[in-house]
Amino acid sequence: MPLRTLFTIALRNLLKAGRRTLLLMIAIASVTMLLVMMMALTEGIRTSVIHSATVLVSGHINVAGFYKATPSDMDPIVLEAPAIKKIVEENVPNLTSVVDRTQGIARIISATDTIQTLLMGVDISEETAFREVVRLAPESAYKEGGSDELKGDISQLGEPNTALIFASQARSLGVGVGDPLTVRAQTLDGVANTADVTVIAVAEDVGLLSTFALFLPKETLRTLYQFNATTTGMVMGYLKDPDDASNALGKARSALQQAGYDVMDHSDRPFFAKFQQVRGEDWTGQKLDLTTWQDQISFLNLILTAINTVSFFLIVVLGVIIGVGMINTMLMSVRERTGEIGTLRAMGMQRAHILLLFMLEAMILGFVAAGLGGLLGAGAAMGLDAAQIHIPVEAVQAILLSDTLHMSVAAHQAILAVLAITAFSAFAALWPSLKAARMQPVDAIRHSD
Amino acid sequence: MKSKRFLGITLTSKIAGLLAVLLLSTSAFAQAKPENSAASEAKKTSAKVLSDKEMLELLKELDHRQHSAGDYEAQVYIDQREKDKSALLYEATIYRRDLANKMIILFEKPRSEAGKGYLRIDKNLFMYDPNVGKWERRTERERIGGTGSQRSDFDEWELAEKFVPSFVGVEKLGNFEVYHLKLTARDRTDVAYPILEIWLDTKTQNVLKQQEFALSGRLMRTTYYPKWSRIQSEEKKDWVYFPKEIRIFDEVEKGNRTTVIFRNVDLKALPENIFTKAWLESKSR
Repeated sequence: MPLRTLFTIALRNLLKAGRRTLLLMIAIASVTMLLVMMMALTEGIRTSVIHSATVLVSGHINVAGFYKATPSDMDPIVLEAPAIKKIVEENVPNLTSVVDRTQGIARIISATDTIQTLLMGVDISEETAFREVVRLAPESAYKEGGSDELKGDISQLGEPNTALIFASQARSLGVGVGDPLTVRAQTLDGVANTADVTVIAVAEDVGLLSTFALFLPKETLRTLYQFNATTTGMVMGYLKDPDDASNALGKARSALQQAGYDVMDHSDRPFFAKFQQVRGEDWTGQKLDLTTWQDQISFLNLILTAINTVSFFLIVVLGVIIGVGMINTMLMSVRERTGEIGTLRAMGMQRAHILLLFMLEAMILGFVAAGLGGLLGAGAAMGLDAAQIHIPVEAVQAILLSDTLHMSVAAHQAILAVLAITAFSAFAALWPSLKAARMQPVDAIRHSD
Repeated sequence: MKSKRFLGITLTSKIAGLLAVLLLSTSAFAQAKPENSAASEAKKTSAKVLSDKEMLELLKELDHRQHSAGDYEAQVYIDQREKDKSALLYEATIYRRDLANKMIILFEKPRSEAGKGYLRIDKNLFMYDPNVGKWERRTERERIGGTGSQRSDFDEWELAEKFVPSFVGVEKLGNFEVYHLKLTARDRTDVAYPILEIWLDTKTQNVLKQQEFALSGRLMRTTYYPKWSRIQSEEKKDWVYFPKEIRIFDEVEKGNRTTVIFRNVDLKALPENIFTKAWLESKSR
């Protein structure tokens, strides 16, 4: 019997059992919708975490370094930054931009409190992605009784002795836009130094990263730490495809080594985690340390692993629900259609075709329902993402590195979900279909009587 | 003195602290005369402007006064007050061997800090934390035990060697006529702060007040020396001077202040092996 005929019979059977088919379709579509939305949430969190982290604390590839004047000293700096930047630009393909940032640890002192934090010196004019992640916070986010007005201007970070802080830092320090802060640090040769800066913008919190990074103009940090014009903290390269970071890093490594730079062996730990190790090493001079964004934000892997684990658990639960529903429905169908199966077998239909017929019914039902569910799920996810729903719980914000809910529908993930649900529906129908195929025609006809 | 850990600062103590700061320049300095110094009985004279040579001699004299030809041991109590935090009292012992350029600060109380220590050998300062069992190299800017004090507050002075003086003027500090000198570091990597200003009693030549400035020119710390004392040294064949009390005010993190009190200063010889990492580690075992 041709497959087309079997397909027609399967379709008619589904239409004939209208109510049962509809109920099962609703169940499968709902589960698929949930699955697609969950995948969109996971992907949204993943992309949001990666995007925020790669803009705030890491490039897609990074060239940092250590300079040791004596074996017991250690300064986390990169000398000859313009030359290194040029080598990276010329030798790494598919780069969108290369920037460098000065960085250091300092105490930030307001009139009421003090925090110790990582300082990042940026040139706001060359940090194009910065404004996508860093957005002004309403005054009410950091000041009791404050208005919803967005005060300040991020572009003022281009002026000397200015600072951009996050809302949580502003709350800790008790400051707002226009207030002064004193930055207290030590220069490279260990001399106490200070910088008086003015808060020009308070940004919305970006989760954990908001608690340990504060942004100042690059030149302000240069003066504070007494860096010369060619010294920086880290050269950061941004790629068209972040997933190509390992390949790009290899090219940068080769080029820098060929140019005569001493490059440390690659380690998948973030740069700051190597300070203690390098401090204890017995060498002097400059060594470069190259990392990818995956290395730099490996401390966030725990979050991503936890999210993936929860997603996997939910997918398994949803799969079991679909499976049980499908098996139950198909068993009912086989039982109701025992006489029909007997007649078909008596007319000469082979066991394999009976099996295929029932499997086709499940697959058609699964595909149509999953397709509808997938479309609904994708639509709902995109709608929720567009709505920019605020996450009210600070602990959740800290984990997600965002104060708004991000959902990202990846087409390949949605298609995969529909195909997986369809395949799973067919698989769940295997046992009832085998049961139908194994029936003896005489027994089946007698049973129906 | 028994170690105490204050659980909170009352309003009364805050007011008392504030009054102490305001009155320090007058009442505290009234006690600043060396207890046993004949110089404190000096007759009233009008101080003159000091030449570069005289300033350098003055700094050498200050350094000489604190230098101990033999060994030096003192018990110190460090009272740390920070804004909106509980007050903390630390107890430590200072060991010095000035001729060998060595010093140890060994924390004894509170219990959580016991065994923690600093070892200076020449220009190198190391810190040992028994909780992690590791040594770390520290800079001159290290806040000793996390307080507002620094290594230089416990060690002998080397003003003449490390700074170039310039004369600011003769001023009145409370009831005292004082020389006001500005000191600029010869090599800024050797000192905690690159610029110092000191106020010395024109009669006793005791330093009564010191201000330290960051590279940016910002005032970082103001230190008052309300009480000086001295002890006869057989090796030196002269007096060894030491401040009985130091009051340090953080000028950046306003409200943070540290009081260091020196007690039981002793110049008897210390064991030979004391200025080693092994000895300091052994104190926490």
